[in-house]
This record gives sequence, structure tokens and C-alpha cells, in this order.
Amino acid sequence: MNSIFQIPSFIIIFIFSFIIISQCQIETDWAKKDHTNNWAVLVDTSRFWFNYRHIANVLSIYRSVKRLGIPDSQIILMIADDMPCNPRNPRPATVFNNANQHINVYGDDVEVDYRGYEVTVENFVRLLTGRLPPGTPRSKQLLTDEGSNILIYLTGHGGDGFLKFQDSEEIGSQEMADALEQMWQKQRYNEIFFMLDTCQAASMYERFYSPNILAVGSSLVGEDSLSHHVDPAIGVYIIDRYTYYALAFLESVDADSKRNMAEFLKVCPKRDCISTVGVRKDLFKRNPKDVPITDFFGSVRPVEVIEDVVIEPISFISKNISVEETPKIKKYRYVPPLVNFDQFIQ
Amino acid sequence: MKGLEQKNHENRNSPWIKCIYGRLALLCLSAAAIRYWLIFFSKYQTTIADHLEISTPLNSWKRVKEGLYLYSIGINPYDGDMLHEIPTSLFFYQYITEKLGLSTGVIFIISDIATAIILFLATRHYMFLIYVEREVNKDHYAKETDEYLYTNMDLGKAPLYVAATFLFNPYTIFNCVGFATTVFYNCFLSMFLFMLLSRKAYMSSLFLSICTSISFYSIILTVPMWLQFHKQFKGKLRAILSVIFFVMNFAVLLFIGHRLDNTNAFFENVYGFILSVPDLKPNIGLFWYFFTEMFDHFRELFIFSFQINATILYLIPLALKFRNDVFLLITALLYILTIFKSYPCVGDVGLVISLLPCFKHLFNYSQQQFLIFVIYLVTFCLGPIVWHLWIYSNSANANFYFGVTLAFAVAQIFLVTDILFVYIKREFCLHFGKKRKIGQKDAILVLE
Amino acid sequence: MHYAFILLLFTFIEICISEEDVFTEELLIKPLNADNVYTHFHFTTKWNVPDSGFSSHSRIFPRILGEIIERYNVQELHIGLTNGLWRYEKWGYPVVSASPGGEIWTWFKPDTKDVDKNWKELTNSLSGLLCASFNFIDSTNTISPEFSFRPQGIIDNSEKVNSSYLKYSSLPREIVCTENLTPWKKLLPCNAKTGLGSLLNSGYIHNTRYHSLGLHLRRICTDKYCSHTGLELQQTISLVYDSKTLGTRNWSLIKFFGQGILNSCDLAESSTIYIDNKMNSSNPFRLTLKPDEVITSIRGGTVSEFAKYNVGKTIFSVGVDYLTQKEVTINQLPVLYAHQYLSGYGKENGGLVLKITNNHWSELDVVVLQNIPWYLQLYLHTLKITVGDKMLKPIKLKFKPGKLRTRYHHLEILLRIPAKSVATVSLNFDYTFLKWQEYPPDANHGFYIGSAIISCYLPLARDFVGLPQDGSMIRDSFNASRSGYLVQIRTETLIVTLPTPDFSMPYNVICLACTVVALAFGPLHNITTKRFILKVKDDRTLLDKIKAKLGINLKKKED
Repeated sequence: MNSIFQIPSFIIIFIFSFIIISQCQIETDWAKKDHTNNWAVLVDTSRFWFNYRHIANVLSIYRSVKRLGIPDSQIILMIADDMPCNPRNPRPATVFNNANQHINVYGDDVEVDYRGYEVTVENFVRLLTGRLPPGTPRSKQLLTDEGSNILIYLTGHGGDGFLKFQDSEEIGSQEMADALEQMWQKQRYNEIFFMLDTCQAASMYERFYSPNILAVGSSLVGEDSLSHHVDPAIGVYIIDRYTYYALAFLESVDADSKRNMAEFLKVCPKRDCISTVGVRKDLFKRNPKDVPITDFFGSVRPVEVIEDVVIEPISFISKNISVEETPKIKKYRYVPPLVNFDQFIQ
Repeated sequence: MKGLEQKNHENRNSPWIKCIYGRLALLCLSAAAIRYWLIFFSKYQTTIADHLEISTPLNSWKRVKEGLYLYSIGINPYDGDMLHEIPTSLFFYQYITEKLGLSTGVIFIISDIATAIILFLATRHYMFLIYVEREVNKDHYAKETDEYLYTNMDLGKAPLYVAATFLFNPYTIFNCVGFATTVFYNCFLSMFLFMLLSRKAYMSSLFLSICTSISFYSIILTVPMWLQFHKQFKGKLRAILSVIFFVMNFAVLLFIGHRLDNTNAFFENVYGFILSVPDLKPNIGLFWYFFTEMFDHFRELFIFSFQINATILYLIPLALKFRNDVFLLITALLYILTIFKSYPCVGDVGLVISLLPCFKHLFNYSQQQFLIFVIYLVTFCLGPIVWHLWIYSNSANANFYFGVTLAFAVAQIFLVTDILFVYIKREFCLHFGKKRKIGQKDAILVLE
Repeated sequence: MHYAFILLLFTFIEICISEEDVFTEELLIKPLNADNVYTHFHFTTKWNVPDSGFSSHSRIFPRILGEIIERYNVQELHIGLTNGLWRYEKWGYPVVSASPGGEIWTWFKPDTKDVDKNWKELTNSLSGLLCASFNFIDSTNTISPEFSFRPQGIIDNSEKVNSSYLKYSSLPREIVCTENLTPWKKLLPCNAKTGLGSLLNSGYIHNTRYHSLGLHLRRICTDKYCSHTGLELQQTISLVYDSKTLGTRNWSLIKFFGQGILNSCDLAESSTIYIDNKMNSSNPFRLTLKPDEVITSIRGGTVSEFAKYNVGKTIFSVGVDYLTQKEVTINQLPVLYAHQYLSGYGKENGGLVLKITNNHWSELDVVVLQNIPWYLQLYLHTLKITVGDKMLKPIKLKFKPGKLRTRYHHLEILLRIPAKSVATVSLNFDYTFLKWQEYPPDANHGFYIGSAIISCYLPLARDFVGLPQDGSMIRDSFNASRSGYLVQIRTETLIVTLPTPDFSMPYNVICLACTVVALAFGPLHNITTKRFILKVKDDRTLLDKIKAKLGINLKKKED
């Protein structure tokens, strides 16, 4: 009997000591990192088959952040058109970002939160600022708080100071900046990494004035962002240069990688991109060198272990019983599957 | 005054005047024949009826048929938004189509011809008024101004010209052949004119209330009506009484409509529809493209300003300026309505054009006759062509048709402003002569 | 001691509940003709839960659905997400019919206070749940059909069917892809990892001629006297494979789905595959695996034979090898089928034509439901129902006219179609001109009209594979002869091109129209507020005038 009781006590001591040690570690980690959760807002703003590459762009990033640990519930994916099941797609339910067709970025497990006509400037701004109509499902809300690090990735067709949505409307750089400021004032983020792959991308982040934003754009004002290559089987350009190289970089990152944002910002030098990658660091308080890439692209978060948890199964039982106690004597019936015509014939 | 009437009577008995009725009958018969042929023998009736210049959502016969059908199978026609006629009209149509046993075409022809005859009679009254005015004021006119005055011949012929213009201008012909219910509206409107000019206060207020219940815009004609009876009765009370009559009649008509409909859905579907312009199907007016392309948050502002522009903006200044010539005032107001109302159609244009021969004496001095005529002609031909190109052959777009309607509106604006301008110029000349000299120096006439 | 108690409790609860919800999975494979094979997955979850609500925990039943239907007071819920068109003439009838695009209809419980509000919120939740655009459904594109839909499950004996608690809406434009399949699969107890669900690989599913996801939730009786109720969830996937895309006529599970079944789902009470042997007579084939059982089913006078396989723990695949070359077989047309198309040309007015064919030797009663968007302005007086040259009088006509921007047209026609004839229902409409901001970004792609639904209670079960009303599983449909068999035929969706304005014109149009208004205002203002006066004529030329003016200016400067 004695030995039987001793084993659990040993185990308990072991667990306790483990908890104490690990907590110390966490505490120190905690001090360094002030974000508690990671979110990603990934937006493709263009429609039509010839913009296949934009959807490939956004799905590539989606795949990377999901691989690095951000769960689907914390990724808001906005895709303005359907490429995978488009009748023009020779291989249904796939989107490739490489002519060799070895990575299906669409994958077998994908959840698109805003699609088709839902991708509008209004919805995008509402999503960021949290001013959604009542009844919006959770999967369509950005439920961030002051401890959230957000990755915002936008791709589409842009110009000097605007980004087109679906070829019919556009968001201006000032609107974008104001939306982010509203987020800051509402304590909806801790830090934002803002990433754009459009023409004249730098013009979009020039007007930002809210703190803690690190922005990167695929091209400077006056420059075009170019696409990378064509897949002859699909027949259109399948990915943009900047995203292609950013992705190549991200493929080398895994959840406990030590690579930092400074390395990421150097991705795609002019000889590869043809355009100049623009970076805006002045709003960002930390040195990108000290920021691990998983701060934005992954979801590595400190865990706090709580000891004194009491499990109370009593309510569970009572509920179960209450169900069994309420059988009602009611009669039910099936309805004839179709109306009887004779009642209408005189 | 008596002497004048006798003189006029003599005029009427002159041989030319005697055969005027014969001519009118001939005109009516030939006009009826044209319409009859177009409706019953040519294959163009449905094409014409479907044309958007002729049938707007407010006056299309197809929608009346839909309303009657829905009513006949027990569905409230005002539940949907196909019907924008008042319930009273709907029952009127039901009566004339089902109870009278006449074919629809015949009814339309009869009422169009009737309109022409009533207009003829109405303008005769007007001509008589002018004649009286001329005779009374003869001594006040400046010298050498005879050319500005009507000749007796003109006075006699003008009503016939009015009838002829109404019967033979293509706008009214198409309006009638296309079974636009504007035909009935025109009929009531001409009745109003007739009653007004023959100085029957109650009857004119009755017909005006009918017109107003059909097309809400006619409400602004209460002002000229009031002016007319104010002048006539030399007392405010009786003049106001005519307006009160109007309001009462209108209320009764609405109440009948409400009783027939049992719901108040028709208010929204008739007056709400006219005022808030939800159906943006193109027509010859200015509203459709303007409100198609309007930014949503400015929509209300512009709807208000456009409706005010069409109704009361010009009402008071024009009424003050032309208070002495009520018929001219009515013509001007009808013209402005035709240009600026939310769902105008060629039937409205046809009616106002046919009133123009009354102002024949002004034509010689108008400056833009040729331009206006050419634009009328061009838009008349080009409208259907660009419409076809846009809608059927996909080789033009909405802007082409919009351009045509703009040009048409410009032509009508030129016409109405031209006439008013010439009118006040003539007034000036009648009183101050046509000599343009101050002392020995040459002078010019300017508006200041 | 505590822990042991809890453990004991859990096992106890487990036992209790496991009796309460039952999950079965079935796959029906039916060669439709020489080229096409119909595969229908049918996952059924039955949960004995009282009508009053379910605060208890379910074991298998997806909790999220339970929460949704309880929150919005849903009695019955049917969702279809379909890509492709079911070809009734060639393929007979499906187990569950669905119209192209998204389709959803719901019966709310009779004690629901604000049905419209619940409906809006329900569709919003479902759009989040299934990643579909159901959030575009609101009162403007919803109808409440009176005759076409009846509750498929049970209702309280004391209540009458009241169609105001029914909401139906369709999204013909909806595209169905992996993003819908993923959340759909997550509702399965085994989450597509084991069991029949493991066959659902997106790449293979979307490579078919027709694929349709279905989710049908209703209340059923759980005892003989129907005094206890339960909740039944049917999750279905229908696929039609084409041998031309597969490359061969011989098929197998591996060819269809890329893999066989790796492992059975432990939570399933049974995992069964049925293969319809009917085509064996015209195009003989050999099953690659000997069936566990051969079921002969006589239903409504039609005899059919099914090979049944029970899926076990081992890797499983079954297929068919054809024994002869492809033979052209005469396709026996089904009893009732229908087509819908547009008539007319241009963008001003057009017509909608529906052709219903009755192949039966006696007359058939059908209910036609048409759900027509408000951007077509219908003229009901142009409704013509003809059989050959003769007019056919509808037995009953229900029409709720649509309203611009607020309501769809709802048309239901009860027809008795004579034997061996084609009934043509035609209707004319005008196209509407919308405001420029109401057009979608791809305005010239066109606007969709949902499919018409033709419901009929067929007297015979030829080509019929649907489930009886009291059945939940495919196995319930064997030998299930009833007085009639409900088919709901969904026709093609249509696409119309509305006339468009020039989207780049707003400023120009506003300027031009206002200029015309000003053109009237100017002269009228002059005429009414000014009067004529004579002024001494200025004989100087224009140049003189300018000089004079400049001279004045110069003088001023000198000062």
C-alpha cells in the first residue's frame, strides 16, 4: 500500500518542481515580449482570372503563417475571386505559386473568411476597426486586443496613394492610415507588420502616423511591382516577384527559428525584384534586428501555467439528469410531403 | 364690352369662320384615320408602345394591364411596384375596357380627338380674351405697333392651328398609338384649360384635382387658377374658394382611391414613386442618368433640389411676372414641368407644343426658332437610334442616349425662354413703340 | 478517490450518451449510364434529444450546429452547396436534389417572434460556419414558398403547417470549393481522417461533373408512437464522375478519390458501401471484390440490386471492371423533368420559359416554384401555360409581386400536366436599370436567376433513389414502397445581362445635368426679375472698350 501511495506523490513533486522552473523561464520571456497573440489579415483585392497571381500571393502567405502556427481562427483571409474552382483552372481546387506545380498553396484545409463580393473597402476597414454589423460570425471578426501582433498583407493593383479593390473602388493611403490610427486608439493591436505587394506600394504606408507599425512595400512610389513567371499550363502569371522571394525566405523559417525581421526586410533586392523594396521603420519602436520573424508570421506565445484549478463535474451530472427528467407527452406527426391538389379543385 | 362681343359674333359668322368647324371635323377625321391605321393595321403598335420615350413606368398601358390582371385574380396591384396609377384611374380603365366593350385603341383615339376638340374650344376662349384685351387697350398702345398685334384672322385661325398641331404632331400620335395613359391626362388637362378659360371656377378646380391626382406635379397649376379667378371675381374670397374646392376635390379623390384600394400602399406607389424616383429606366427627362450616377449620400439632397426646380422654383417669379396672362403662365409652367419632371414622356411634349400656335404672333421675333427646330428633329430621330445601339446592338452606351436627352432638354429650355423673352419684349414695344432712340442717339434694348 | 469517481462518472455518461446519438456512414455508388458514375456519401447523425431544447452535451452531434439551431429557434434546416447541374434526363433522380450554387431553406419553430431577424442572423452564422456567402441572404432575396416545401421532419400534432415560418433563398452565383468542404468535413465526427470521410480529398471531388454538399437537419420520431423526438443530421456529398475525365471506364475507389479507405471510423455505428447493380444488365461489369451481401430491393414496382460492403479496419477499396466494350444504350427518360431558359434579345425586355415534360402514362400534379429577382420586372398578365396548342389552366396560382430593391418575386403554380406531354410556362419581364453603385464589380458578367423548383409526388419509383420521409439512411430506402415518391427537380440557373451605365461618368453626368438646369435658371431669372430699358448705344468697338478699361486701370495705377 505504501509504495502505491508513494508513486503519485513523487510524480506530484516532480510536476510541481517542473512548473516552478518553467514559470521562472516564462516570466523572463514575458518581460521581453509584450504581445500575447498573433493575428493575420491577408487580403487579395483583385478579381478576374488574369489576376491569378494575386490570389497565389495571398494564399502563399496564408500557407506560411498557418505553417508557422497561426490558427485558422486568427487568420482573416479575404479573396476577391475564386481561382481554385474557376472553370478556367485546368486543375480544379488547386492554386500553384510555382510553375513546377509542386506546392498547392490552396491546399486541402483552407478557410476563406471573406470571398467574392464581400471583399470591399468598407468591409476591410470595418474589419480592422472592429465596427462590424451585429450578427457577424466570429470567423469574420478581427478579435484582437492590446497584446496582438497583426500581420496585414495586401496584394492587388495599386497606384500613387491608393489600392484598387475589385477594379471598382479604391482605398486611399489616408483612409488606410486613419483606420490604423483608430485601431491604435481602440487598443486593437500591439504591433503591426504591414506588407504590401502592389505597384507603388510605398505610397500606401507613407501617411501612417500610428505607433508600432513596421511597413514594407514591394516598390517605391513611381515604380511598378512585377510578376515573377508564367505557368504555361495555367496560362497566366502565377506569382509576383516580391512575394515569391519573401516566400522563399519564409520557407526556410520554422516555428522556433531565430531569424529576425531585419533579414526579412532585406528580402528581394533590386536585382531580383526589379523594383525597390520600400521599408518604413520610423514608427516601429524596436530594432528589427531584435524582432524574431515569428513575432509576426508565427504564433509562438508564452504560456502561463495556473496551478489551483478546481474541476467541478457536479454541474455536468445535474444537467445530464435534468435532460432525462423532462420527457413531455406530446404527439408529433410527419406532414405529407406535398400539398394535396384535390383541395383546390372544386 | 357688349359691342365687342357683337363684333366677335360677326367675326364668327364670317364665311371663313363658318367653315372652320368643317375643317376641324376634317382634321379630326384624318387624324383619327392615321391613328386607326397605326393601331389596327400596322405592325408597329407594340414597337411604339414599348418605346421608352412613349411609355414611362407612370403611363405605360402594359403596366395598367398588369394592374388590372393582378386585381382580377385577387392580388393587390399596389403590393408590387408595377403599377403607378391611382386606384380611381385603375377602375376607370377597368370600366372603359370591360364595361364599355370598346377596343382599347378606339378609346385612346376617341379621347385623343376629344382632347383636340377641347383644346380648340379652350384656345378660342383665350383668343377671345386676347381680342378683348386688344380692343380695350387699343388706345394705350404706342404708334406703329400694329405689327405686334393679332389680326382678326390670326385670332380665328389659332384654335384650328392648335387642334391641328395636337392632332398631327408625331409626339401626340405616338403617344396615342403607344397607348400611354398620358392621353387621358392630357384630356383632363385640356378640360381644365377649357374650364379655366371659360371662367368656370368649380369645374376647373375639379379637373385640376383630377389632373393632380394622376400626376402630382399639376398641383402647381393652382396658382394660375387662383390668379385667374382673382382677376375674374375681383374678390379674394371667391378666388380662394376655387383653391379650397380644389383641395376638397383632391381629398375626395384620394379618399375614393383609399377606399378602392383598402390599403394606403398606393400613396407610396404613385406619389412616392413620382417624388423619390426609384425606377431609373431612361426617359426623355433629366432624372434617370443623373440619379443612376449619383453618389448615394447626396441622393436625397439632389432629389429635393431637382423636384423643387421642377415645381416651385420658377412658380412664384413667373406667376408674378405674367399674372396678367394666365394662359401664358400655364403654358410656361407646363413646359417647365415637361422638361424637369421625373418621368416625362412625349405625350407631355405633344400637348405643350400644340399650345404654341396661340403665341403665333410672337414667332416672328423669336431668335432661336431654327436651332430649336433642328434639335427637335435631330433628337426625334437620333433618340431611338442610339437607344437601339446601346440596348440591342451593344455598340453604344448610356452616354449616347443621355446626350440626346440633354439636347432635347436644351431645345425645350430655349423654346420656353425664347417665348417668354419675346413676350416681354413685345409688351415693351406695344407700350413704348419700336423706336430705339433716346433723343437723337441710337439706343438698344437691354434687360436690367 | 476524486479522480476515480470522475473517471467512473465519465464512463457512465459515455454509456448513457452513446445510446443517445448514433452516427452511420454510407456510400452509394450508382453507375448512371455508360459514362457517368454517381457517388453519394450519406453521413447520418441521430440524436435523441427532446424538442424543448438541448442543454445536454452531445457526443457526436456537432455542437456548433446544435448551438446555432437552438439560438435561432430552428425547426428544420436544409443547406445545399452545389457546383454543376444535375442532368435529370440522363441521370435519373439524385438522392437529394440541389440547385446550382448555394441554396438554403429553414423552418423556424412556430414560437419564433421575429422570423426575419432570426433568419438574417442564422444566415450570417452559417456563412461563418461554411465559408459561404450566405450573409448576402436577407429579406430582399428570400421568399416563403407556400406549396413547394413542407416540413420533412415531424411537427407538433396540434399545429398546422404555416409557411410564414419557412424561409427559402438561393445564391445561384455561389462557387463551391475546398473552402466550403473543409468546414463541412469538420462537422463529421471522424473529421475526414478515418472512415468514408477519408475519401473526401478536395482535388478529386472538384474534378467531377457535378458535386454537391448537403446539410439537412430535421426532427424525427424516435419511437413507434412518435411521442419522443430526436434530431437528425444528414450530411451528404453527391458527385458525378465522368469516365472521360478519369480516362478509363473501369473505376474504383482509388481512381475516384485518390486513395482507398484506410481505417474505419470508430465512432460510426456502421460504415457501408452500396453499389447499384442495375447497369450490369446493359453494360456488364465485374466487381473487383466479392460483396458481403447482395440486397434486392423492390420499391414502387421497381426491382433493384445492390452489392453491400461493410468497411472494416483494413485498407479497403472496391471497383468495377467492365466486361465488354462500351455499348450505346438507349436512355430511358425519367418520368418528369424540366428545363428553363430565357427568350428575347436586347437588354430592354425578355421572357422566361419553363418546359416541364411528363413522360408518365397518366397526368401528374406538379408545383412550380419560381424565385425571380426584383431586377426583373415581371408582367404576370403575360403568364402563359400551354400544352401543345392548348392553354392549361393552373389549379392554383400564388404570386407575391416583387418590389424594387426590397423583395423578390415569388411565383408558385399548381399544375396538372396531362399524360405524355410537355407543359410550357412562359412569362415576360422588363430589365431594370440599377444605380451605378448597385452593380457588382463585374457588372458585365451578368446577373443570376435562381433555378425553378418543380415538386411532384411521383406515383412510381423508377429512377428514384431518394429516402422515404421516415428514413434517415440509404438502407432505409430499400424495399421502402410508399404511396408516392417526392421529387424536386431543380432547373438550370439563368444569367441575364442588365443594361449598364458608364461607370466612369458620375462627375460628368452630374455636371452636365446641372448645366442644363442652370441653362433654364439663368434666362428665367433674367426674364422674371429684370425689365427692358432703352440704353444709349455704345458705338465703340470691342477693342476700344478694352482700351478704355485698361486706360482706367492705368490711371488708377498712376494715382
